[in-house]
Amino acid sequence: MWVVEAERLTKTFVTGWLRPRRREALAGVSLRVPPGAIYGIVGPNGAGKTTLLSILATILTPDSGRATLLGHDLTREPAAVRQRLNLVSGHANFVWSLQVAEILDFYARLYGLTARERRVRVEELLEWCELTPYRAVPYNELSTGLKQRLALAKGLVNRPELLLLDEPTVGLDPDMALKVRAQIAELRARERVTILLCTHYMREAEQLCDQVAFLKRGLILAEGAPADLKRRLGLGDAIRLRITGRPADLAGLPGLLHWAVQDGLLTCTVDEAATRLPSLLGMLDARGVRVEELRVTEPDLEDVFVEYAKPHH
Amino acid sequence: MRSHTIKVGAFFIRNLLMTRRNAFTLFEVLFWPAVGLASVGLLTRFLALDADTTAFVLTGTIALSVVQVCQLDVAYGLLFDMWSKSVKHQFLAPIGVWHLVAGSWAFGAVRGTLAFLVMAVFSAWAFGFDFLKAGLLPLGLFLLGCLFSAAAVGVLVCILILCFGYRAEVAAWSLVSMLMVLCGVYYPVELLPSPLAVAGRALPLTGILEGFRAGYGFSPAGSAPFAEGFAWGLAYLVAGGLALQWAARTARKSGMLLRLSE
Repeated sequence: MWVVEAERLTKTFVTGWLRPRRREALAGVSLRVPPGAIYGIVGPNGAGKTTLLSILATILTPDSGRATLLGHDLTREPAAVRQRLNLVSGHANFVWSLQVAEILDFYARLYGLTARERRVRVEELLEWCELTPYRAVPYNELSTGLKQRLALAKGLVNRPELLLLDEPTVGLDPDMALKVRAQIAELRARERVTILLCTHYMREAEQLCDQVAFLKRGLILAEGAPADLKRRLGLGDAIRLRITGRPADLAGLPGLLHWAVQDGLLTCTVDEAATRLPSLLGMLDARGVRVEELRVTEPDLEDVFVEYAKPHH
Repeated sequence: MRSHTIKVGAFFIRNLLMTRRNAFTLFEVLFWPAVGLASVGLLTRFLALDADTTAFVLTGTIALSVVQVCQLDVAYGLLFDMWSKSVKHQFLAPIGVWHLVAGSWAFGAVRGTLAFLVMAVFSAWAFGFDFLKAGLLPLGLFLLGCLFSAAAVGVLVCILILCFGYRAEVAAWSLVSMLMVLCGVYYPVELLPSPLAVAGRALPLTGILEGFRAGYGFSPAGSAPFAEGFAWGLAYLVAGGLALQWAARTARKSGMLLRLSE
């Protein structure tokens, strides 16, 4: 059974009364998320990531399409869905003058936790998110990082089986972002939760996600494991060599995708560096080209993102 | 049932915490009602009104303040989240809109009763208003009727916020002024031009005021004004509850919940 199964979800926002303006946010998104996965949704600004997550969180109704979450139909059984999921967003906000523990207690009440359950859960989350020293601090006096940790704690208050994370590290300094990412990675094992993560940080998606979907203009352009996506786009590994002498045509090299020489730097993109490097070095040696320095880099998700963000996709 | 009580309690506790944190809420409960009562009471002195007519006017002032204080609490159930841009988190939880209304109203009823007691004692001391003259039962029904009317007004504010967002915020403070015109707060409803008088008769507070004022010698238009007032109140609450559910569905559809959030 899939935790999330969405079929052709569409959403168009209409603004203005006299002259309504229409903006298509989702143009037919389908996706399936297996249990226990961390599934990433990446894409440029305005791609429809937040719209998709908001629909799955039941705070936005799709115009068409259908989705089941944890076996419940999103539009027919929203209450059952809400009981079993939660949402954490970047730049989260809560009632400003409430204190940290009060905020967690308020949301725990909304999920129907009894007094005893609330006490245990709130303490557990305060401790795990390292918020215990700040339990009596009003929300508006917290730093951005602490606010984000509180948002994460609030997202776990009902022990969700599905956690939706919308840009959870946006605006955080690198230290805090690392900490939040580590907590997200830990969550899967600790809470046995399936995670749907929207982000535009490719490194975050690459580090955390088993599967990634690229969303652009309201459509999923590609979906798969990060390594698969790189292979599918034929981005290949880059071998950069500082050389003396100019090599003749390298076109005959097996697995070579493209190559270029500039200012004594030869850059070859090959399908797999580990396999192709010996033949490349052999070919250069045979042609009297001396290699002074060599560096191999694998493409990262950022390259995949850049490729998919190009207009022709 | 237990789960519903906990969810309703969430809004009660939150409004309580917010009231404790914010000194300005004391102004809502104590200061402004007292200021309103003092100025209207002094006006009755200036116009040299007799005791019963003074009671008629002061009853209206007290009713209006109690409704305002209590309905604000219902509206706060949504306004606190709107002001802090966290509306979506509330609607993400498995609650119904009635949890929000019931919890916030229950705390509003506490604040409204407090405001009522302050004003009743103040008006008795300053203007000799005998608020027990009509009897304890009419007095209790009067207070309950005001709180009941406040629930309907608060629900209407919530509906407007979910439909129109920040633009409707002002309704939380201005809707009560409409009541002042239509419900005969300072004059009998019959003084209004005919269509407005009909509209006024269809508002719960009109019957509640007439029922209580009957104890001061002012004949009500109907035979059972309290029953009429509560019946209208119930009708508005049921209609308001349904409309609020519709407004919440519409807000999910239009994206208003997102616009009122981060």
